[in-house]
Order: sequence, then structure tokens, then C-alpha cells
Amino acid sequence: MIIKTPPYLKKGDTIGITCPAGYMDAAKAQTCINMLQSWGFDVMVGKTLGSKSKNYFSGTDEERSDELQAMLDDENINAILFGRGGYGMGRIIDKLDFTKFKKNPKWVIGFSDITILHAHLYTKIKVASLHAPMAAAFNEGENEFIQSLHKAIIGKKAKYSCAAHAFNKPGNVTAGLVGGNLCLLAHIIGSPSDINTKNKILFIEDIGEQIYNTDRLLYQLKRSGKLANLAGLIVGGFTDTKDTDRPFGKTVYEAIQEITAEYNYPVAYGFPVSHGKENYALKVGVNYTLKITKAKTQLSE
Amino acid sequence: MKRKHFLSSFIPLAATFGAVASGKTSFDGDSPVVKPPYLKAGDTVGICCPAGFITIEDIQPALLKLKEWGFTARIGETISKKDFTFGGTDDERLNDLQQMLDDKSIKAILFARGGYGGVRIIDRLNFKKFDRDPKWIIGFSDATVFHSHINVKYRVATIHSKMCNSFPNDWNTAEPVQKETIESINKCLKGERMKYLFTPNEKNRTGIAVGELVGGNLKTLESLAGSPSDIHTKDKILFVEDTGEYLYSIDRMFWNLKRSGKLDKLKGLIIGGFKIKADTPGEEFGKTIEDIVLEKVAEYKYPVCFDFPVGHQKNNFALKCGALHTLGVHLNECRLTEV
Repeated sequence: MIIKTPPYLKKGDTIGITCPAGYMDAAKAQTCINMLQSWGFDVMVGKTLGSKSKNYFSGTDEERSDELQAMLDDENINAILFGRGGYGMGRIIDKLDFTKFKKNPKWVIGFSDITILHAHLYTKIKVASLHAPMAAAFNEGENEFIQSLHKAIIGKKAKYSCAAHAFNKPGNVTAGLVGGNLCLLAHIIGSPSDINTKNKILFIEDIGEQIYNTDRLLYQLKRSGKLANLAGLIVGGFTDTKDTDRPFGKTVYEAIQEITAEYNYPVAYGFPVSHGKENYALKVGVNYTLKITKAKTQLSE
Repeated sequence: MKRKHFLSSFIPLAATFGAVASGKTSFDGDSPVVKPPYLKAGDTVGICCPAGFITIEDIQPALLKLKEWGFTARIGETISKKDFTFGGTDDERLNDLQQMLDDKSIKAILFARGGYGGVRIIDRLNFKKFDRDPKWIIGFSDATVFHSHINVKYRVATIHSKMCNSFPNDWNTAEPVQKETIESINKCLKGERMKYLFTPNEKNRTGIAVGELVGGNLKTLESLAGSPSDIHTKDKILFVEDTGEYLYSIDRMFWNLKRSGKLDKLKGLIIGGFKIKADTPGEEFGKTIEDIVLEKVAEYKYPVCFDFPVGHQKNNFALKCGALHTLGVHLNECRLTEV
């Protein structure tokens, strides 16, 4: 399957900011807007950011999908950065028309709830997208993870490296990268946005889940055949993990180790992709080389 | 090309004919469902833990009731076993249930409780003997894994009901609804044709449907999507319930059902109890369960009812999964009747 890579951005290009899911206060995106401008980009802010919505969402389904649709179609917008995730992309995904976007693809940037869009673009539209920090993460300052997003959109090839983990399974593979939030990846199984993981490097991360539920999600991936034929597995951060009153008895990483024990592909734990600060920009649908040695893990485009 | 056309038009006809001739449910290329033999006095009911752990003390009320109903209880090795949250290690839970599935003298298996763990052992269970000599499997919540798996792979009816941990400690002080729901398990096991009359909800969509009853815990059903145990819903009456979920998560789960094609060909939809986790103040989801459901099924025509007495609640009646039922949703009354 050939995945189209959108054009990289140059100075003077415009980045649109929209909130396709949860509500976001406009003030929380100001640092992001300033930084994007300091990088030489123009910023166009949608009405869903700091909207008048009184409930969980940044706007009604129509408001959110209309705005995203307009940004997908507008040729003057060269990339779309989502304000935040939360929940809501799944409610509008089937309303979106990707006809123009497919002809003139652009980078869409986000993670968490945006995993549905990454998967959908990969499977249905065959366009690469960016799993990367969103507007709120810019408030942490211009750290290496925010910088990784800057480098990614201007077309600098990524070469990430992180410390080895005791559970790592060494190896060296080159393959297309797919993945995102584990809960969302399981949620789209059986839907038109579902991803084929065969011979791919899969990356997963999650936040705030009970360990037993993460175990169940992993079993779902396994039982639906998504773990058996991977080229490699990248395990990111599982932040803010919760446990039941009666402890589950395993950590998330132990559960992953157990569930993937029968497979021979390389597995890296502790990769900086997460809901925490550590969240490198990753291009879904693009080829990467994953090299895991006893000393470290490297992921290079 | 012609052959393909011929086959596709032939199969549904044959299936429909088969269903009428045998008086059993058979749609969607699914073979007819077999009901295990009903129980009579003196029969043995096995009790085991395929998921969470339970103590021997906690199953005493259930043991007492089973005896009163005329059954002999066989207490599995996993009762009182504990491996962290589980009623024993995967191997221990697997072996206990496997023995009960294979033992011809056990006529029904009542799960002690739910929790989490069914999916960790389901693919290692051997259903060969069970398939030849089916018996009633009883439980709900995490047991939805078994209801769905057995329905899809073996076409054997199962009982979705309360488990040992829901039998009241003191029968005399128990509420009428507790007694009724527990007694409904006995009725199910002894072959009584099940009937449920429940209060209409003003958001119900009226209509009459006949179909095979399938369903269970919504979260568990979602976690089976894509797996060999994934539920078939075409031409079925689907019931769902859940507990401890946020509204947004329930919304997402219904999207999963819809986007994976599980809502468009239903005969009817039954919404049981949903215990909702409260939203953070100021971040209210802004939709009720009724809104969430009706929005997903607005384009379909089948009857939909809310507040059916099934769920993580006192009002949780035994249901025969896989059995053909009639659902009548009317303005003044709602009925579900086993055909």
C-alpha cells in the first residue's frame, strides 16, 4: 500500500488550529500560536477554539465537523494542528469528505482521540499524518518534543533515541509505522477506520486506564490478529495508570510482555510517545527503521 | 458470476425455510441454536470462577438456594482461590472450567462472579465435549465473553443472569425484586418459557420484533470486536447494559457498534441499566443515554426500548441468550417473551 506524504511546510505557510473533540480555552493555545508564528508560520484559528459551548465539546457535531471540513478543503491552509483531544473525533469522522484532501493532502497533527483520524487517513485515504503534541503541550515550553514536531513539519528526517528497557526484545527492522492510543485503536476494530498491522511497526500508548482494562484491550488486539504479524512493537508511556481495589498483580509493561511473549519481532518499551511531556512527533504511514540493542532504542525515518 | 448470484439468493431462502420448519431461530447464515437440556431435581450445578475471585463464605447464599431448588452443587477448585484480582491463575481457572464443561454429570455451570478474566482463558478452552453435550452456562458482565463466544461458535443457548455474589444473604429480608430475579434463574433452568413485562419509557420507539436474543455487557462486547468471539447481530434482538462508564465512553461504544455494522440489521434493541459515572462539573457531556442511543439508530426502523430490567442492579432478570423472543414495545406496556 502506497501512502502519500503531504508537502512539508515552508516559512509563510499557514497552520490552522481547530478543536474536533473536547472544549479548549483560547488562552491555553496562545503559547502555541506565538511559537508557530516565531517559527515563521501564519496561524488561522477556528471558532471551535475558545467557543461558547457550555458542555464537554468544543461545539456541536456540525460546528466541529464543518470547521474541520473547511480546513481540510482550504488550499490556503497547509497543515491542521488540533487544539486538544478528549472525545469527539469518532462522532464526526464519517461526516467528513476527504475528496479534496486526498487530491491536495496536508499534515494533520494530533494524538489521543485523533488516533481515529490517523487510522482513517491511513486505511481509507492513504495519506500520512502526524502523531504529535497538540496546542496545549506548547505550554510546557519549546522542549525537544515540541521541536520534534517543528522538524517533522518542515521535512527534517527524524532520528529518535531512548534508553534501553529491561523488557526490550532486540532487533532491527524497517517498516511502515502505525499506531496511537491503545483504547482508540481497539475501539475502531471492525469499523471502516480499522488498521491492518501486518508487517508494520505498531506503537501504542495510553492514559488513565485501569490495568485490567489495558490487559483486555491488548487481548482484543491479539485476538483480532493485530499482534501476530507485526514487524516490530513500540510501547510508549502508559501514564496515570489505575489499579483495582484488588490489585491486578502485573504492571502494564508486564502484561504486554506476557501477551507478546510468543512473538519473535523486536519490542521496545519506554519509548517517548505518551500523554506526558515525552511525546515525539511520529509520522503514521511513513517508513521507519527501528533498531533495538542492549544499549538503546533508535527510531529513524 | 451467475453461480455467485444463484448462491446469494438461495442461502437466505433456505435459512428462512429452515427456521420455519424447525421452529428454531436461524438467520444470517447462523445455524439454529440448541438449548441445553433443562434441569430437574437432583441435577448437579457446578460453580467456578472464570474471572474475579470469591470466598467460600460468599457463595453460601447461592448454595442454599440451589439446594432449595433441588440441585446438587459442585464447588470448583477456583472457589476461594486467589491470584491477585483473579480466582486463581489463568491455568487454574481454565482447568476448573474445562473440567466442568467436560463432566457429563454437571448439567449447568454457574459463575460465582464476574470481574475480569474470561478473555484470558477463552481461546484455551476446548468446547468439543460441550458442543456434543451442551449444558447451561450462567452469568453476566465479564461472562458476556462466554455468551458471545458460545453463541457465535457453538450456537448453544446460555443464561445471562445474576451470579453467586448477587444472592441475598438473608432471603427473609431481601427485597421482592431480589427474590424475583434470583428465582428467574431457577425458572430458566427448569425450562419455563420466560416472560418479562416492564415499564415503558417515553423515549421508546414502538414496534414488534421477533428474533434471537443476544447481548450483554456493552464494554465487554466492544472488547470482543474483531475477535473470533465477536457477536453476530443481524436479524437479532440485541440487549446491552453497562456500569461505571462515563457518558462519553458509552457514546463511543455505541459508535463502535454502529461503525462496525452491528446496529443496522437488528430486529430490535433493548437497553438495560446503565450506571453512569458522573462527568466533571463544567464538562458535562450534555446527552442522556436515550439521546445517545436514539441518535445512532435514528435511520433504522426497529423497536427500541429503555429501562429493561437487566444490568448491574437489583433489577436483573435471567435471560436466555440465543433463544427466540418476541419484543413488543407499546405506549402502555413493554413485553419480552420467549417464543
